[in-house]
Amino acid sequence: MPARQDRCFTKTKKLCPSCTLNTALFNSSDISNILSQSDADKLFPAFIISRLDYCNSLLSGCPKSSVKSLQSFQNATVRKLTGTKKREYISPILDIRNTVGNIPMEWYKDFPHIGYNLDGKKIYKPIRNKDELDDFLDKMENPEYWRTVHDKQTGSDVVLSDDQVELVNRLQRGQFGDVNFNECEPMVEFFSSDVMIHPVTNRPADKRSFIPSLTEKEKVSKLVHAIKMGWIKPRRVEDDGRGRYYNLWASEDSSILARHKMHLPAPKIPLPGHHESYNPPPEYLFTDEERALWEQQDPADRKLPFVPRKYSSLRQVPAFSQFIHERFERCLDLYLCPRQRKMRVNVNPEDLIPQLPKPKDLQPFPTTRSLVYRGHSGLVRSISVSPSGQWLASGSDDGSVRFWEVCSSRCMKTVQVGGAVKSVAWNPNPSVCLLAVVILSSERLLSAQQEGEEPAEGNGSVVWSEAEGEELNQGLRLKIQHPKAVHQVVWHAKGDYLASVMPDNTSHLQVYIHQLSRRRSQNPFSRNKGLVQCISFHPIRPYFFVATQRSIRIYNLVKQEMTKKLQTNSKWISSMAVHPGGDHVICGSYDCKLSWFDLDLSTKPYKMLRHHKKAVRGVAYHRLYPLFASASDDGSVIVCHGTVYNDLLQNPLIVPVKVLRGHVMTHDLGVLDVTFHPTQPWVFSSGADATICLFT
Amino acid sequence: MSQIQARFFTEDKRYVVDDVPFSIPAASEVQDLSNVINKLLEAKNASHSKVDFDFLVRGQFLRTSLSTHMATEGISTEEVVEIEYVERITAPEPEECMMHDDWISSVDADAEWILTGSYDKTARIWSTEGKPAMTVAGHTDVVKDVAWVKREGLTSLLLTASLDQTVLLWEWNSERNKVKARHCCRGHAGSVDTISVDPTGTKVRLERARQKLKRQQRVLRLMTLDVCGKHFQFCSGSWDKMLKIWSAVPTDEQDEIEEPADRPRKKQKTQQLGLTRTPLMTLSGHSEAVSSVLWCDSEEVCSASWDHTIRIWDVDTGGMKTTLTGSKVFNCISYSPLCRRLASGSTDRHIRLWDPRTKDGSLVLLSLTSHTGWVTAVKWAPSHAHQLVSGSLDNLVKLWDTRSCKAPLYDLAAHEDKVFCVDWTESGLMLSGGADNKLYTYRYSAQQAEA
Repeated sequence: MPARQDRCFTKTKKLCPSCTLNTALFNSSDISNILSQSDADKLFPAFIISRLDYCNSLLSGCPKSSVKSLQSFQNATVRKLTGTKKREYISPILDIRNTVGNIPMEWYKDFPHIGYNLDGKKIYKPIRNKDELDDFLDKMENPEYWRTVHDKQTGSDVVLSDDQVELVNRLQRGQFGDVNFNECEPMVEFFSSDVMIHPVTNRPADKRSFIPSLTEKEKVSKLVHAIKMGWIKPRRVEDDGRGRYYNLWASEDSSILARHKMHLPAPKIPLPGHHESYNPPPEYLFTDEERALWEQQDPADRKLPFVPRKYSSLRQVPAFSQFIHERFERCLDLYLCPRQRKMRVNVNPEDLIPQLPKPKDLQPFPTTRSLVYRGHSGLVRSISVSPSGQWLASGSDDGSVRFWEVCSSRCMKTVQVGGAVKSVAWNPNPSVCLLAVVILSSERLLSAQQEGEEPAEGNGSVVWSEAEGEELNQGLRLKIQHPKAVHQVVWHAKGDYLASVMPDNTSHLQVYIHQLSRRRSQNPFSRNKGLVQCISFHPIRPYFFVATQRSIRIYNLVKQEMTKKLQTNSKWISSMAVHPGGDHVICGSYDCKLSWFDLDLSTKPYKMLRHHKKAVRGVAYHRLYPLFASASDDGSVIVCHGTVYNDLLQNPLIVPVKVLRGHVMTHDLGVLDVTFHPTQPWVFSSGADATICLFT
Repeated sequence: MSQIQARFFTEDKRYVVDDVPFSIPAASEVQDLSNVINKLLEAKNASHSKVDFDFLVRGQFLRTSLSTHMATEGISTEEVVEIEYVERITAPEPEECMMHDDWISSVDADAEWILTGSYDKTARIWSTEGKPAMTVAGHTDVVKDVAWVKREGLTSLLLTASLDQTVLLWEWNSERNKVKARHCCRGHAGSVDTISVDPTGTKVRLERARQKLKRQQRVLRLMTLDVCGKHFQFCSGSWDKMLKIWSAVPTDEQDEIEEPADRPRKKQKTQQLGLTRTPLMTLSGHSEAVSSVLWCDSEEVCSASWDHTIRIWDVDTGGMKTTLTGSKVFNCISYSPLCRRLASGSTDRHIRLWDPRTKDGSLVLLSLTSHTGWVTAVKWAPSHAHQLVSGSLDNLVKLWDTRSCKAPLYDLAAHEDKVFCVDWTESGLMLSGGADNKLYTYRYSAQQAEA
């Protein structure tokens, strides 16, 4: 209904476009068409009177001339409102008797008058002698009481007529004031959903509907220009950071998960397959043998808990007889299944590898086999390089010692010594040219083989004897005969002392130290501390390293006492080498381990390298470069970079840099000895295949 | 198929073509280009017979297709490419094989005679046809290096350096085929591994020598020498880290060596051949053994050592001029006066070219890599600015052109064991000897070398 009213108003507005008065008056005049004249006559005062009254009160103090003109304007307004002709008399409508305006009448409560008329005379209140009782009686007795209205302006009582009462009632009900107005007139459908076959107008489309509008273009270009100049800011895109749309349950979910950290989802039921179909393809149906097998099997072993069946239509499928059983099984599954969370430590394996420099940055180190020294016919037990680096000496089980030119792999000299050579060692003093050779023969002699200038020495249990005759021509200078089989000989760095090992578990006579210049030998130890494997002199200080089966003892030769005992944690030591700085020792063992000891740090290995697959046979340090190498029965030589720092707080840096292969496995033996070139980063290795390799 | 604008030119007058750009397919290879040139030459000269050519684009030999080469070298294909062509160097042909009794340590050849040093303690003289002429025996140990000093008429002077710490100066009369040890140069305390003779035959600078040599006798001798005319010197490098400069002129005087009387040298002295000679000068500075010396020009001696350096010495003052530092032990060096480059072979697989004159910047100009073992010998071509030959422990001798540094021109795989020495003569003969006791000679076309 209100919608309809609106439509009426819109229509009337369109019909009276010339109206220039304000909206309130305009609407009132609209209504005047709906109301009957008589109703309007009464209604308008009720609508407007207070406003006009206000105008009147303003007029009251003005001079008469201006009041007159204003009065005429007011009249014109009212005429427009009421639709009366200009000539008609307007005063009955504007019968304004009181000029005080729209003020609370209580203000005149104590005065005899109630306001002022147009002439400025007092309007006196009607004599009211009615009290509450009279009012009550009046209410009880006067049948007109309910339609009597008190006019506060004049203080008089007005009795409304029947028409007026009806009008008020209709207005209260929200109905139109005019009884005759039909508010449900049939609507004229100007724009209907029916498509007419003939156009309303046959006018061809304008040309301008086909061409771009110049004005629009101008407007757009203005806007563009303004945007470019920054006069217009493009509408800011609302920051949707939180977002108008967001996952309502996002936070809730995480909180739930937080509460149920140990939540484990129930095991899922396998999805149904073709077997379960009421009409499975024939390959899913059981053959007779399959059915027999199924029936023979224990229910727990059956692949399928049911037999697939074929039905021509779905409505012939019977009820599933195993339903209860299956539910029960599922419940058992759910509550009996082990719900245990496996706590896995998530560690990136990369993080566990220590940060080591790349081998590329640690050059130079030997990488390739450059030369092979061939000539021996037995396995080469020991090799040694002359201090100048020009010659290489090798001792072999074929009973010969060979001298090689390093740079050409030429065998310059072969000396037959008449027994397997266990060890060779070149005198480190560059001014003398001496080679000590350990020969295992029936006489068990150790000979110091000298090649060149100075005479050397020999000693037996210890017998020293000068070489003579044929032996002298061969280059032999001195023989030192030992009571037992000698296994190793080492030189002191100065070149005057040499030490030899005779491993014997039962005797304290295991180590001899010989002095070359005085042709003297002595046994430094009075007690047997275990089977001596190898020995070494300290390169600088008067220390002596003795490796027994499981530990290395360091003796101070001046004070004649043991200073340190290194625990190797290996089962059987095979070889040992002392760093040229003297503070580090490496030790290889038959259980494939290479241990690095930092003597300042601890008596336990600083590092254990387990790179070899088989027993480690030999270890060596380079004299100048930070390199060390280990030779093993698996046929490989592993070269490692080992920098030691003068700073006591910094641990040695050990990086394996290269695995060198070149020897052939012979009788389960690989590489037997390894040694470095004294000045170049080259490593020599001697193998059981009777060759010596040079890796550069 | 894209086309490339190319202009061909050559310095060989016989094969000049018109200097106009040709449009040739980008995918053409050496053989295609060679055919193009041959066609052009035939069009010009009907009597032209087919010649194989090699092509140089911006100083680099073309070994792949033209487009690939230009892409790798970063040459624009938009412009006209200048392509130089030279007659292709034909493969060296093996000529003779001279059997020795032992490993060959060194070789020195000139136009007529070949001198080889061997591990059997002798040096041998061969004719270039492979006939043995003479065996020079006298050393007590392996002969490590040999050198011709001069050859005048029938009399020749030659030097042999040995592991027995001496250098012997021999006089050889080729007519009577008699060899006589004239001098025994003593002074080194280690094996003498290398010798090099002053190629220019300068006069001894008498004043300098006079200042240095105190004894009247020696001054007199030198004066007589100077009167004689040309005076030769040679330089030797030893395992005792020293370089020594000696006079190479035979005289009848004997230098005295001050020797401790108690040293038991008696036996050796009686065996000594020739008159003792002492060094004129000793150059010390290397910290490791000297592996190779070279007399570059009249005043410069160049030495390579195991201490990873090449040092250049001024013979006049005896001071060191330049040090070139490498990263590996040097085995051998060679200097070419034509291109003024040093080539070095070291204990890795690379041959490196050095500019001995640069004081800064990259010292290594080029690395030639194809060998798989130590490079034990390098030698520049005597008459070609770009060619060198190298021998290695991988049994191969390789002929290189520095304009084609990726791969050698030819591999000579005649040897069955390590190669220790290479040499070549101006008459177009290449020689190589090694541990298989054989000295091979190869003939290569000399006229191309002159191109």
